[in-house]
Amino acid sequence: MKKSSLEKLDLELYEETLDNGLRVFIVPKENVNGIYATFSTKFGSIETEFVPNNKKKMIKVPLGVAHFLEHKMFEQKDDIDPFTFYSERGCDSNANTSNTKTTYLFSGANSFAENINYLLDYVQEPYFTDENVEKEKGIIEQEINMYDDDPFFKMYDGIIYNSFIKHPIKYPIAGTVKSVKSTTKEDLYNCYNTFYHPSNMFLVITGNVDPKETINLIKINQEKKKFDKFTGIETKVYDEPNKVEKKQETTTMDIEISKFGIGYKIDCSKIDKPIADIKTYISLLFDLKLGSTSIINEKLKELNLITHDVDYTILNTDKHILVIVVVETNETKKVQELIEEELKDLTISEEDLERKKRVRKSGCIYRSDSIYSINNKIMNNIINYNKVILDDYKKIDSLNIKDMQKIIKHINLDNKTVYIINKS
Amino acid sequence: MKYKKISTYSYNLHIIKTNKFKTVTVQVNFKRKLKKEEITYRNMIVNMLCESNSIYPSKRLMTIQTENLYDLGYRGMNYISGKYNVMNFAATFLNEDYTEKGLLDESIKFLSDLIFKPNIERKRNEISFNNDNFELAYNLLKDNIISQKENPDAYSKTRMLEYLEPNSCHSYRSVGYLEDLEKIDSKKLYKYYESILNSDILDIFVIGNINERHIKKVIENNFSNIKTFKKPSESHFITPKKHRLIPKVVREQQKINQSKLVIGYKIDKMTNFELRYVLTVYSYILGGGPDSKLFKTVREDNSLCYYISSVTYPLNSIMTIRAGINKKDFKKTISLIKKEIINMRKGRFTDDDIIKAKITYINSLKELEDSQDSLISLYAGIEYLGSDNLDNRFKKINKVTKEDVIKLASKIHLDTIYLLEGEDNEEE
Repeated sequence: MKKSSLEKLDLELYEETLDNGLRVFIVPKENVNGIYATFSTKFGSIETEFVPNNKKKMIKVPLGVAHFLEHKMFEQKDDIDPFTFYSERGCDSNANTSNTKTTYLFSGANSFAENINYLLDYVQEPYFTDENVEKEKGIIEQEINMYDDDPFFKMYDGIIYNSFIKHPIKYPIAGTVKSVKSTTKEDLYNCYNTFYHPSNMFLVITGNVDPKETINLIKINQEKKKFDKFTGIETKVYDEPNKVEKKQETTTMDIEISKFGIGYKIDCSKIDKPIADIKTYISLLFDLKLGSTSIINEKLKELNLITHDVDYTILNTDKHILVIVVVETNETKKVQELIEEELKDLTISEEDLERKKRVRKSGCIYRSDSIYSINNKIMNNIINYNKVILDDYKKIDSLNIKDMQKIIKHINLDNKTVYIINKS
Repeated sequence: MKYKKISTYSYNLHIIKTNKFKTVTVQVNFKRKLKKEEITYRNMIVNMLCESNSIYPSKRLMTIQTENLYDLGYRGMNYISGKYNVMNFAATFLNEDYTEKGLLDESIKFLSDLIFKPNIERKRNEISFNNDNFELAYNLLKDNIISQKENPDAYSKTRMLEYLEPNSCHSYRSVGYLEDLEKIDSKKLYKYYESILNSDILDIFVIGNINERHIKKVIENNFSNIKTFKKPSESHFITPKKHRLIPKVVREQQKINQSKLVIGYKIDKMTNFELRYVLTVYSYILGGGPDSKLFKTVREDNSLCYYISSVTYPLNSIMTIRAGINKKDFKKTISLIKKEIINMRKGRFTDDDIIKAKITYINSLKELEDSQDSLISLYAGIEYLGSDNLDNRFKKINKVTKEDVIKLASKIHLDTIYLLEGEDNEEE
């Protein structure tokens, strides 16, 4: 087991790759009572076209299948299901699906050995039947309806849909009511047999655990199980164009304050840096230009055009970064003009950048107090870099204005889509 | 962990010393008896103080200063706790081991400036808040009040409570009211602010790896503006009114896809043990999580919803059940829920269910020690609500029996059924 320290955070990371390919990461924290374990597959909503393990032909599965599969993993052949199991031990359990991964998790201060064994067991023993797949459809439909009623979700979904042309990140994680209805048991097994192989999965445990005992428990559990040979996963590569699918969309909802969002689609293929690093710079740039410490944000408030801060969020594919700027205002046109005017000048000062670096470094320390945040950091690192970043501090320190300027040169903010939700 | 309460002439200082965290949190609570017309005032005060002050005249400058203080996080809020209205301001910042010497004092000063140094104007001996700052705080609160409907889940709960018992403490909206807001000007608001400093009950909580003597001194220096003579607090608990004999059914329409069902129950007078422990066990079994009766029946067996849960309000002797459903399933869902309520009354649950509820509660107590906010809530609960300390909670939860739960179940009565009706979007 390899041991390394997470710089400046008073934490050690233990990691090992098991014979079957499963990667295990453990960060012990003795001064807390809780334990948080996550078991993830690098399988998210964007994997909809792939060659199933040990087959030759590429297949296409319905949208939202990763999320559907996540729901169905909670179905077990014998009576006891994961919710009941963890509840009997007074622990919480849950699962979630993103664009790029699916995670099963539990947290609690009790019965760790049983809990970790059960987590591995239930995720590694699927039980899908025609009936239980059918039964789930009504539940997921209600989940989709719930998000549809939220104007912000609707706007994010709308902007992402209008920004991308070929890449499946275009579609909501849960799919659509129609795609959910068309999902079959066979779809789920095809995905499961391909993406849930231990070589495509990783386990992250943070909290009050002993790393040696933990790794032994996991090894004993895994050695008992047999897995198919893993030949690697071939997924479809999308040749996503740089332009957006649709430049503008306007809709109405039963809301009190109108809202609009701008999606800036940025081509990163010509920037010589990992996309996750580019994302850090672009996030800092938008924070400085439009965030809560920006002049424009203050100005919009003084003009009584907004009352809540301009918000932004960033997501990416292998090639593109999409920055989504969201504003609540009844003067959508005016505010859009003012923001776009502001973004014509992307220069930033060294002093501001240094202050934001201090914020980011402090953030590392804040997060190191929480077993949930540490765990999330490791999961994100694996998805973004395929390894754990041990020196976040140093990495933040190395951010500099020169690299920022190089990246800014590649940004074309005319390549955008605008989504407006007017109050009815 | 070491807890100490220091009572001074005008406030209580609660010091929780623990080396578990790399951060220090200071929380300042002001409370007074709840009056409907004051809720909006208190929300305005929170906005005024959190958006700017005389040292940092805009939110932007305030935020830049928090970034200089190694990303200090601050927040202000106003909430209803039974018969009381509590307004609090809190700051969380890194321990000096991770920043620089002197930062602890500077961070506490930031919080105290936020509370005591608002941006004010004097005109002919009359003091008011700065008008520009007032406008910004006003617009923010106005937007928060009018946009409640945009969150159908929270809005439906608010509406149900208003029907459950109009003009009672639990029917009040903690965000405030537009008609009250329109009557507020910056002079009146300043007067109200002064009355808070002069007459609210004040509790200050400090948690972290701190030196008790030093903290005591820093707080003394920063909170000398408090003129209030400390009054004893009364109970926060509300004596429940009797439930309706024939439940009220209300349906309201909104343009949404999913209908929001909220059911209100009233609970007959409970003993201390019942409302603190038995009710916890009852609600956990009925609708406390994905292993509960409601989740299994309504979601898993009948696929009628994505979420369903029961939540209890021990201070108000109320329980709610909430679910997001299709409009056409309204009757079916209600009848399934009613059946589960009857099952609880008839004792159709196992000893295992009780054990699960107890273990879950005990685990949550253990994990409570991992979070500063939870620890502050724990001691605030002991101070305000007479809650038991951790040791006693561990002991008492274990005393709950099946008979206790059945007895409590018979005290829980359906009162109001509320449906925020959407438009089913069937794609058949």
